Amino acid sequence: MLNIGKLTRAMSLLALTCSAQVIAEASPPVPSSPREIIVASCSGCHAQNGEGRWFRISDQRKTPEAWQMTLVRMELVHQAKFVDPAGGDSQAALRTLVKYFADTQGLAPAESAPYRYILEQELNTIEQHDTEQFRTMCARCHTGARVALQRRTEDEWRNLVHFHLGQFPTTEYQMMGRDRDWLGLALNEVVPYLNEHFPLQTDAWQQWQSASRHNFEASWRVVGSMPGRGAFSGTMVTAAKGDDHYSVAFNGQFEDGETLEGSGSAVVYTGYEWRASLKLGDTRYRQVLASTSDGGELTGRMFQREHSEWGLRMQAVRDTGQSSVLAVQPGHLRTGSEGSLRIVGTNLKGDVNLGPGLKVLETVSRDKDQVLVRFRAEATAAAGARAIKVGAVELADAITVFGKIDRLAVEPAYAVGRVGGNEGSQPAVQAIFEAIAWGAGDDGQAGTADDLRIGPVTAQWSVAPYTEQAVQDQDLRFAGQMEKDSGVFTPAAAGPNPERKYQTNNAGNLKVIATIEQDGKPMQGDGHLMVTVQRWNNPPIR
Amino acid sequence: MYKVNSVYTNAGVACRAAMFGLLATVAISGCAEKENPVQAADESATPGDFLVVVNRPNTLHLVDLKQRKVANSCQLPGDFGPATVAMSPDNRVAYVLTNRFENIYGVDVDTCEIRFSARQSQGDERVKSIGSIAVSPDGREVYTHQNPTRLLIDRYEVQPTRIAVFDTAGGLDAKPVRTFVAPRQISIMATGADGTLYLGGRDIYAMNVQTGETRIALASQSVGDPLESPRDSLTVWPIGGVNHEMVRMYSAARFKDASQDMETADYVWGFERIDLATGVAEAKVFGPLEVVLFSGMARPSDPNQFYAALTQLKKFDVASQQELQSVDLEHSYYCVNFSTDGSEVYLAGTFNDIAIYDADSLEKLGNIELPGGDMALANTQVFSRAL
Repeated sequence: MLNIGKLTRAMSLLALTCSAQVIAEASPPVPSSPREIIVASCSGCHAQNGEGRWFRISDQRKTPEAWQMTLVRMELVHQAKFVDPAGGDSQAALRTLVKYFADTQGLAPAESAPYRYILEQELNTIEQHDTEQFRTMCARCHTGARVALQRRTEDEWRNLVHFHLGQFPTTEYQMMGRDRDWLGLALNEVVPYLNEHFPLQTDAWQQWQSASRHNFEASWRVVGSMPGRGAFSGTMVTAAKGDDHYSVAFNGQFEDGETLEGSGSAVVYTGYEWRASLKLGDTRYRQVLASTSDGGELTGRMFQREHSEWGLRMQAVRDTGQSSVLAVQPGHLRTGSEGSLRIVGTNLKGDVNLGPGLKVLETVSRDKDQVLVRFRAEATAAAGARAIKVGAVELADAITVFGKIDRLAVEPAYAVGRVGGNEGSQPAVQAIFEAIAWGAGDDGQAGTADDLRIGPVTAQWSVAPYTEQAVQDQDLRFAGQMEKDSGVFTPAAAGPNPERKYQTNNAGNLKVIATIEQDGKPMQGDGHLMVTVQRWNNPPIR
Repeated sequence: MYKVNSVYTNAGVACRAAMFGLLATVAISGCAEKENPVQAADESATPGDFLVVVNRPNTLHLVDLKQRKVANSCQLPGDFGPATVAMSPDNRVAYVLTNRFENIYGVDVDTCEIRFSARQSQGDERVKSIGSIAVSPDGREVYTHQNPTRLLIDRYEVQPTRIAVFDTAGGLDAKPVRTFVAPRQISIMATGADGTLYLGGRDIYAMNVQTGETRIALASQSVGDPLESPRDSLTVWPIGGVNHEMVRMYSAARFKDASQDMETADYVWGFERIDLATGVAEAKVFGPLEVVLFSGMARPSDPNQFYAALTQLKKFDVASQQELQSVDLEHSYYCVNFSTDGSEVYLAGTFNDIAIYDADSLEKLGNIELPGGDMALANTQVFSRAL
């Protein structure tokens, strides 16, 4: 039977559509709203479930990266087409949805804080898990952070278990899967655990939704350090482009004077998740930063897009005209020594005061954001972390004074490098180490709880077989090369190696040795490097 | 019936067809010119050992082990994997699990004719089978273990796992004639002479394929031995054909006493086997766990000798639980098999070559290179028959 009401509405819609098309021809299209895009792109499968709600979609919260991964999976696996009814392009529609979902169904800062390492792609992080079951059921295939950066209803966690086994049927056949009733445990024990620890509704999210939002257009003073390169200072100037989008001009230099300069753009998700894409020199970088609740600081990591192992741990502080001290580079000095220090801050005014026993011999140069001084440390200067002052402004624990280095550690203590290249799709993943000096602390015993962390020092680097098996397999010969001056290990080419026993690939199990000389005597520290095979699937959250 | 793409030319197909027809004499010379490996008609009447295996892109090979060459190659439809093969009782038809763990093809290994096929995924249900395929002793039925998932409009719903029974005469779009709910996590299967279907999972189960009644035939994870850790068995290689057995290896810790101290435990390799003629089940430790091994089986001529491989080929004395001999391999091989007389070991999987070793000396006798890519997880089936 003809439904006149429906027909009338359809004709009205048709008329509206035609009108919209005329307008579109006359002027640039106005992009559709996120909800219009959801209706056009998602609701074919995800039925509406109340005003502004859709089945499954509305029962979960997660990071911008996780929303992006979900939407891209919908595109790749389920042939979803992201459609802007107003005629905008599909990728723009996808970006609109990521922004909308992250803003309206994201995580509060307190919820993402413990797991930022995975967003920042600090891939040598060793996770600690609350329970052995969580480790074996979830974190044996991907990081625990990937789970903990999501919030779902209990039904949604259950749906996720079904998704896992439906999409990856061998999950229950693999080691730590085939030894148990994997599906039964997942549904009956893991789902309630996840619902208890990572529920959809939380106070933190409730509060964050009503917290004030900030405009991130500003000049920012940047300080940080990149393992393999050293300390860094610079500036970042951002200009608002509307709807939480910003242009970014970035400029700075490492201790050795090498510059990092370029520009790009940024988006702020969920009111605090700063994501920028920059081209600095010839290299593309990504910034994954989080704002403090007052909007005054952005902290996190800026890493190379193609080689995320290369990254700057950074802090960007909004220049409000106030004076501040942000860093001293280098961050440590030895009693009885003379040398130079760079004090980095904003609107620095007044004399530099390094505290008792540290004398400023000369101010080599200064401008409003940094002071370069020469100092002399008395032999009797007190060891330990101490504050410094520039004028009336102080930075606590700005510099560590030490009498001698009592032990040397390698960081990361355990790292993974990956073979690559050789006409394969994956480049080699380098492993980048730092030598960290430690003092013995008050008890005079190195290796105890009160040891004093002095900081990164220049070392000479080498590698050695980690085990007798590594000796027999000639890992040292095949696995790759350590740069002796920088602590950067470059794994060898990917693929079976006909020169190797069993024609195996160039994997290796190596001890990483840092050597320094102190008062004419060598001192060593070591770490562990596992050179292994490529990862083929490298999403933003591993 | 349609024919899958043979890697040979039409002339080659004609040659092979001729071998089985009246034009044998003509065919011999013609095939030789085309490098068709089919041998002289008088040799074809003598039973010899053959091996069947699938490699990438998705090609089934019949390998003449005596001649050390590929006798026939059949391109299978669909994508590769897992490439698990079970043979018909007359060793003429290979039933292959393929197309991303979903489809079954019954292929005449001599003519490449597809005699049977089944698409296990149907409607909104996606079905994957992980290495579990077997043929009834009378050749009339083929069994798979199915992992079904319903792909609903906005979510997946994992379904109970089950055994699907297909009639091998079911044609090219065969549907299961019976299904039975079965334990999850089944990775290999075999059929006994009495028709019992054995399922290798957390335990080894025996299913009556008429009623679906299932019992534990060999307790593995549920064995409950206070002097042994839970066993771990990794296998997707049904390989016991030459011994008429279902066999898989396991690793475990053997404790000194009931305190189950891992520090003082011995780590061991063991095997679990079902005698497919009698249904007798047996589990035995055969040696120390010193390196990772993927598959293993007893020597057909001497059940006290157990061979296993991954990066080494190792021979163990089962009675004394001692390693007798070990050789390094040129690369990893996942899948062990034997000649029917137990004189030669065939190593396959990983790359695209089959390595042949003397079972007495473990000296390498040669390689048979397969056209195409790697075999990955494929198993081999060895049998003796006339060409």
